[in-house]
Amino acid sequence: MSEELSKAKDIVLSFLKSKKIVRMYPSNNPIYINTIEDDFKKFREFFYFRDELIFKIKQNEISYDSDAVYTNIEKEDNLALFFFKDGLRELNFKKGLTIEEIEDFLKIISLDFNRDALDDDMVTLFWERDFQNIHYVVDDAILTDEENYEEAAVASIKEKEPEQDSLMKAYEDAFQEEMVHDISIVPLSNKDLQLLLQEYERDAEDKTGKLLDILFEMIYLQQSRSELEDMAGFFVSAIEYSIGHGDIQLATDALSRFKKILDDNNEEDERKRLARKILSVAGNESVVNLLGEIMDSGQEMEEKIFEDFVRFLDKNALVPFMKILGELKSIQGRKIVIDALVVLGIKDIATLAKGLTDSRWYVVRNIIYILRKIGDKRAVDYLLKTVRHGDIRVKKEVIRALGELGGTGVLQTLRDCLEDPEIQVRSAALRALGSMRAEAPKRIIINKIADKNFKEKGFEEKKEYFEVLSQWKDEEVFNFVVGILKKRTFFRRTKTDESRACAAYSLGLLGNRDALAVLNKYRVENNKVMQEFVFSAIKRLEHGQ
Amino acid sequence: MDNREDIERFRTGKDLVNQISVVLRTSHIHDPDNVAVTTVIDKFVSTINAFISHERVVSLELRGEYFYINDYRIRYSLEYLLNFDFLLREFKKRELGSIIFKDKINADEVKVLVRALLSSSFAESSFDAIEEKMSQTRNISVGRLKKVVEDSSLDPRKMVKKTYFNAVSYARGVINRIKSGEKVNIKKAKRVVENMVDHILEEEQLLLGMTAIKDYDEYTYHHSVNVSIFSIALGQRVGLNRRTLTELGMVALFHDIGKMDIPNEILNKPSNFSASEWDIIRRHPVWGAKTLLKLKKLDPLTIKSAIVAFEHHMNYDHSGYPRVRTDLKLDFYTKIVSLADQYDAMTSSRVYSRVPLAPDKALSIMMERSNTQLDPLLMKFFVNMVGVFPIGTLVMLSTKELGLVCESNHIFPTRPRVLIIVDEKGSRVKGHVVDLTEKNEQDIYIRSILKTMDPNKYRINLAEYLL
Repeated sequence: MSEELSKAKDIVLSFLKSKKIVRMYPSNNPIYINTIEDDFKKFREFFYFRDELIFKIKQNEISYDSDAVYTNIEKEDNLALFFFKDGLRELNFKKGLTIEEIEDFLKIISLDFNRDALDDDMVTLFWERDFQNIHYVVDDAILTDEENYEEAAVASIKEKEPEQDSLMKAYEDAFQEEMVHDISIVPLSNKDLQLLLQEYERDAEDKTGKLLDILFEMIYLQQSRSELEDMAGFFVSAIEYSIGHGDIQLATDALSRFKKILDDNNEEDERKRLARKILSVAGNESVVNLLGEIMDSGQEMEEKIFEDFVRFLDKNALVPFMKILGELKSIQGRKIVIDALVVLGIKDIATLAKGLTDSRWYVVRNIIYILRKIGDKRAVDYLLKTVRHGDIRVKKEVIRALGELGGTGVLQTLRDCLEDPEIQVRSAALRALGSMRAEAPKRIIINKIADKNFKEKGFEEKKEYFEVLSQWKDEEVFNFVVGILKKRTFFRRTKTDESRACAAYSLGLLGNRDALAVLNKYRVENNKVMQEFVFSAIKRLEHGQ
Repeated sequence: MDNREDIERFRTGKDLVNQISVVLRTSHIHDPDNVAVTTVIDKFVSTINAFISHERVVSLELRGEYFYINDYRIRYSLEYLLNFDFLLREFKKRELGSIIFKDKINADEVKVLVRALLSSSFAESSFDAIEEKMSQTRNISVGRLKKVVEDSSLDPRKMVKKTYFNAVSYARGVINRIKSGEKVNIKKAKRVVENMVDHILEEEQLLLGMTAIKDYDEYTYHHSVNVSIFSIALGQRVGLNRRTLTELGMVALFHDIGKMDIPNEILNKPSNFSASEWDIIRRHPVWGAKTLLKLKKLDPLTIKSAIVAFEHHMNYDHSGYPRVRTDLKLDFYTKIVSLADQYDAMTSSRVYSRVPLAPDKALSIMMERSNTQLDPLLMKFFVNMVGVFPIGTLVMLSTKELGLVCESNHIFPTRPRVLIIVDEKGSRVKGHVVDLTEKNEQDIYIRSILKTMDPNKYRINLAEYLL
């Protein structure tokens, strides 16, 4: 084998390897860079012998100078067939070939042309790249379904040849015809060209908005119900497309127009039906996933625009949003989705509550948060079932939610939680009761403090009880706390004094200056904690601190 | 090579071709030693030497209808059109294929070149005379114009024909596939249109010539392809790049796809349409947009195609159809496609309009519609593109010859190239082509168009002459 042929063969074989590497590695990877450089070197070595390298391509063979340099009869991984099936019959690399051209060539041949998503074939990409030093010959027969179409069409039209006489008649008549008038064509000026190019540039913006305008025109041009029904799919695609390109405002504007149709008493029922349909599917899984992609991409998303968009969606958007809530990587994205679910959740609490059974604790906690933010008491029944959740973070959130949602239904559960072995749960339950501000929770707290075992609790927990109780600034609480302050015991005095100190603290928080007289009595106490808390309470009452 | 370098090369290349043309044109009027000539020579020398210092050798070569500098095709803009065309004719007339400049050249060497070119007009073989004279210079040499490749498969006319019919066959296939609910291959459409773009850039007149033949059985498919060709050609005049021209060609190819939903009994009705039938026909833009939106997932091309399909009958002044409720500004592509559509439809024989208009008549009607139905600025470009006497116009010449316009001339729109079909004695002849810009020794045009006639009235089969 001549050295020249051997080099040509080497180049073809390197294509096979290089197209895989180019597909696998990013362009800054050393393996990628070395591959391109190696291929460039191989070409340079070949061009030492000749000024151009021409490969002829057959279905199962690539040849150089009538010698096969690659043969493969398999369908898979067949480089010859890979080129052949797009119509390529010859590849011609010229001596001036640059490393950039080799890289671009390899990038093109490394694409997966079997994917539907790719709108261009290899030849189109070669054409668009417009290589200076890579030429190719293609067989365009693959472009048509019919063989010999050209011959048949030409034959058929040539059959219509007129009689010789008609041509002669034309010649005779020509002498009778009027002379042509002076025809003046206004010559083109550069100003004309500039004006037109300016118009073209102005027109080159994204056309999705224009398409939506046309789709809205089209719904007024449809003549039957079925024609109108067709339109829903187009609108949803256009909305999806806008969002996919980060234009949420455009999608929002479209939904807003449908909302207007829906609210317009003069609109036809059919169009209202269409509007309803689109508003109900505009928040489908595909749209929401696209929004999720934007959030995770780090692209800036204007929260106001997003909020406006969500406001037009209906409850069908809940499930997709709940789905991405658990999948989003960005904290900011999750926050935005949570806000969206607060808006949407109110439209279907039952569906939203299904998120409480999610296996991921953070999703459950988020759903509880959303239910709490919505503030709909229908959520209580679902939340009560979540109190026994295995994760303490969830438990705390649900207790808080129960407290804020309130109602008699939650009292027993919160009371039970005050007995929970986990201090954090007890504390959450206590605060939840406090947030209810009703008589029943107050009673529960008073009873707990009055219980003989209360003094056994840790100091911080006791303090928290009194702190919560101080939220009810009424006489009953005042008297109850004063009672505790005055209470003296013989046994376990330290524990009792802790409760008394907390009572003093509570009196300070209650803000009733009547307590000063009592507190002053206990200014001088042996117990340092007691002394300190009494002093603080007096100070707070006297100076409002 | 980065883009910047490309742009620089393109600018300098364009200037070079322009300047050498100016040098020659000025030398036609003044002696090469006249200050008017020496000034332009000095300017040329300065430009080319700057180029030579970068490239070492500069080769200006004519291939087909285009100039190449060091293998880069020079695409010219409108401002240089006249000079480019002048130089092209000078090269062809003298069988001059290339001029090669190497090392640093000086003004005297350019004067030798100028004199060689001027004096070659009187020589038996222009090129040999130039070559001999140029042997006196060290840094400028010339090459003979290469003959068109003999290989019939590379014959531009055959390639253009093949491209045209491939496109028609593809258009036919698309409609059939959509009708039978099959998937349409857009990749193939792109290839078809890319071929048309290439031919418009290289062999515009040949491809435009294909559109002049209107008597095919399958009007719809030919019409789609013709509109695509006219649109690409017009887009090219405007200066759109290759990729944009492909996009424009694609949207134009699919502009009338909604017609496939019009029942055949209406579409093929030989008599006038009733009001209700017109109502149905007027629905095809909406149906077209819907069909295109169903064809594939939304992308910029689908969106633009649907927009053009919807708007192409709306008219510049919105007097057409469909009537819209809002102020919808027509797309740039729509305005181009509308022009192409009107021209091709008017000059074609359709089932509902058996007798087509002669190309020049169609053009004059369209000119009346400028600023109402049609965009006036684009119309101006269109007229300049197809010429006063578009391809396919039957003309009587001042020499009493009868001919068909086969190639328009964008510099002298009233002086196209004409295929003679009846000679001055009234005998039918089979086609030699004459250029109406040719002049005799007294500097008077040899032939001019005296009269135009309607080729359809005499059932002149353009295919017989142009295919």
